[in-house]
Amino acid sequence: MTLIRFKASQEQDVDLSRTYDAVVVGSGAAGGMAAHVLTAQGMKVLLLEAGKKIPIEQELRSMEWPYDHPRRGEFPPGDHALRYNEYTVRQPPYAKGAAFKHVFSYVGGWGGSDYVKNILVDEKDHPYTGTRYAWVRARLLGGKTNIWGRLALRLSDYDFKGKTHDGYGEDWPISYADIQPYYDKVDTYLGISGHNENLPHLPDSLFQRPNKLTAAEITLRKSLATMGRVLTPYRAGVTTDGVKNKYRSKCFGRGACGRRPGGCDIHAAFDSPTGLIYPAMDTGNLTLRTNSIAHEVLVDQNSGKARGISFVDAVNNRTYEAKARVVILAASTLESARLLLLSKSRQYPNGIGNSSGHVGHNFCEHVMGPGATGMVKELVGAAPTLDDGKPGGFYVPRFRNLQDKQPGFVRGYGFEGGSGFSIFPDGAWDTPGFGGQFKKTVRDHAGAFISLGGFGEVLARYENYVDLDPAVKDRWGIPVLRFNYQFGDNEKKMCEDMATTAREMFEQAGIEVIGVDKRILTEGWSIHELGTARMGSDPKTSVLNQFQQSHDVRNLFVVDGSSHVSASCQNPTWTIMALAWRSCEHLADEFKRGNV
Amino acid sequence: MSELSRREMLQATAAAAAALSLPGVKVPLAGPQAAKKFFTPAEFAVVDELSDMIIPTDDKSGGARAAGVAAYIDARLAESFEPEPQVQWRTGLKAVEDLSHELNGKAFMDSTPEQRLAVLTRMAAAESDPKTPAEKFFKLIKGETVHAYYTSKIGIHDDQGYKGNVYQTGEYAGFDPT
Repeated sequence: MTLIRFKASQEQDVDLSRTYDAVVVGSGAAGGMAAHVLTAQGMKVLLLEAGKKIPIEQELRSMEWPYDHPRRGEFPPGDHALRYNEYTVRQPPYAKGAAFKHVFSYVGGWGGSDYVKNILVDEKDHPYTGTRYAWVRARLLGGKTNIWGRLALRLSDYDFKGKTHDGYGEDWPISYADIQPYYDKVDTYLGISGHNENLPHLPDSLFQRPNKLTAAEITLRKSLATMGRVLTPYRAGVTTDGVKNKYRSKCFGRGACGRRPGGCDIHAAFDSPTGLIYPAMDTGNLTLRTNSIAHEVLVDQNSGKARGISFVDAVNNRTYEAKARVVILAASTLESARLLLLSKSRQYPNGIGNSSGHVGHNFCEHVMGPGATGMVKELVGAAPTLDDGKPGGFYVPRFRNLQDKQPGFVRGYGFEGGSGFSIFPDGAWDTPGFGGQFKKTVRDHAGAFISLGGFGEVLARYENYVDLDPAVKDRWGIPVLRFNYQFGDNEKKMCEDMATTAREMFEQAGIEVIGVDKRILTEGWSIHELGTARMGSDPKTSVLNQFQQSHDVRNLFVVDGSSHVSASCQNPTWTIMALAWRSCEHLADEFKRGNV
Repeated sequence: MSELSRREMLQATAAAAAALSLPGVKVPLAGPQAAKKFFTPAEFAVVDELSDMIIPTDDKSGGARAAGVAAYIDARLAESFEPEPQVQWRTGLKAVEDLSHELNGKAFMDSTPEQRLAVLTRMAAAESDPKTPAEKFFKLIKGETVHAYYTSKIGIHDDQGYKGNVYQTGEYAGFDPT
C-alpha cells in the first residue's frame, strides 16, 4: 500500500529584526495548539523549538520487522537506556560519569530503542539534580507528541472541582462546562477513537470508530459490569475514520504503536507537527525556528511587560533575541517552570510571573507500577488471531472515591491494559525450562495473557517542587532543574489498593492471576508531569488565571501542563490541548481589542 | 504523554531483563559474511548446540539453529561496547566445559546427545535462583536465545504464526464492546 505524503509547506524565513504578534516557546501539544489557534485568528506567530526537525517517517519506520533491523531494533553499541535500578540506586544526574557514548531515559529501553535515539534527549547534555526522578524528554519538532502513548481522556468536574468534592487541594478556576466546547473542537480537528460509556467522571468525546476488543477483554468487560466498573476500548488520540488534513492518514490498525516506544509514520496518531504545525504554516502566518533553546523571557524595563525571548542556537551556540507583543510558554511543565525561574530581572527578582512564589511548586503527576497479569485458560492453545492491530488495548476508568469514600486515600486511579497475541510472545521470558515442552508452552500461552496497570492521581502539594540548581548547567551553560519531589502517604495507600483491586477484578472474571505487581515505579515514570505554574483566581496562591495568563504580566501566557491545578488520574494531553485552545482564543480576542 | 500500557510495561521489563543479562551488547550493521566474530569455532559450536536444545525444531517450526541464533549472539558480542558481556560468555562457556568433564568426563561437543542433555539439565536446575557459574550461564544463554529466536523470521512467522504488522483496510479485527 502506498500512502501519499505531503511535504510540509515552506518554512517562513525567520526575521529577528521584526516584532511578531506572538512568540511561542515549544512545539509539542501545547505549543502546536497555540500556533494553530493564533494563526487561524490571523496573528503572526514565531514558534521556537529547542530541538531539530528530523525526517520522522524515516526515523520511525513503523512497519519494519525486527529481523530486518541489524540489531533487532536495539541501540547501536555505546548507547544506553537507563534502567529501573539505575533510577532507584543512584541520584541524578544519572548520566554523570557514564562511559557510554549516549545515555537515554528508560523509554529507550523499550522494544525498538533504535527508533527513538534521535527523539529522546541525551541525558549527558541535559543533566538535572536533586531527588530521584525518571524525567523523559524529547527535543525535536513536536516534542513528546512524536512518541506519546495516545490515550486521550477528558477530565470531569470530579477533577476540576475536586476540592468541593473531597476537601483536598484547590478547585480549578474553570468547570467542565467551560472546557467542554474546546474538548469538542480538539476531537473534531484532530480525531479521536473510542466507545461511548456515558460516565459522569469520564465524559465521552466525539468519537470516531473505536478499537475492537479481544476475547479476553470481552470476558473482563462483562464481569466488570456486574461490579459497577467499566472496561472500554483504549480512547486513542488517533483518527480511525480520517480528518481533513493532508498531512495525516487514517489508522489502518498496523499496531506499530504497541511494538515500539510509540510514533506513527503515517500520522494517524496525533502528533503536533502534522496535526497542528504544518496546517498552521499553510496559513502563511507561522514562522518556525528550530534549534532555538529559550533561556529567558525578556522584560520591558518601563512597562514590566514581556517583550520577547532570548535563546541560544543549539548548533552555533550564539544567543539571539526574538521580539513579540505576546509571549507564550509551552515548553512542557518542567521546562516552562525552568524558563520562568531563569527569567530574573530587577522587576522580577524571583523569576517572571512568580510574585506568588508558586512557580515550580504544586508539582504533581501520576503514580504507576501496581497491577496484575492474568491468564485466560480458555484461550490456552487457541489459534493465533490479530489482536495487536490497534493503538492500545483497554482502559478501566476510575471507580474509587466517586460515590464511596476510601478510608486510606483521597482521589482515584484508572487502569490501562492489554491482552492477546503480540509480535513477541508474552510469557516467553518467564516460562521456565527448555526444550520442546518449553517451546510448546510459550506457543500455547502466547495469546492467553491479559494485564493491567494503574495510573493514580498524585496530590498537588506545595512541598513538591523544582527550583534551579545553583551550580550545575546543561551543555549550553543554562542552569538546570533541581528536583525536590517524592510520593507521599496518599500515593502509597492508593498503590496498595490498585494491586488489590487489580487482583480482585481478574478473580471475579475467572481469570487466573499469575502475578500481582505491588512495586511503585520511580517518580516521573508516567511522563505526566503537571502543575508547576498552576491556574487560580487568587494571585497569592497561583501563577496563572483561568486563561493561563500570568497574574503578574498580562502579555505572558503558559499554556502547557504546568497550568493544571491537580493531576486527576486521566492522561493529560487532550486537556492540555483543549485548555490551550480556549486560552489562545481568548488571547486572540483580547489582542484584537488591544488588551494585552 | 506516556500512557505506558501494561503490555508496554511487560515489554519494557522483558527488555530490561534481556539488557541486564547482556548489557550494552549490539550487532554489526554489515551482513553475516562481513560480521566480526567473537566466539572461537569450538565455542560457536557449543552455543549453537545449546541454543538449539533450548528451542529445538519441532513439528511446527524450526529451532534456534535454523533461526541463526548463535550467529546473532556472536555478532552482538563482537561489537560489544562494554567488556563485561564478553567475559560473562567466555566464563560461562568454560563452566559448561567444566560441568561436562565433571559429569561425562569429556568436552561438551564430544559427548553423546544424552550426556549433553544431562549437562543442560544440571545447568537449568536452579533457574529461579542460579548460584553456580553454569547455572548463571543458563539464564544468560536462555535469555539471549529467547530474544533472538522470537525476533527471527522463523520465530515470528513459522512458530508464532503472528498475524499483525499488516494494513487492515476494512473492519478492524476483534470484537465490538457490547
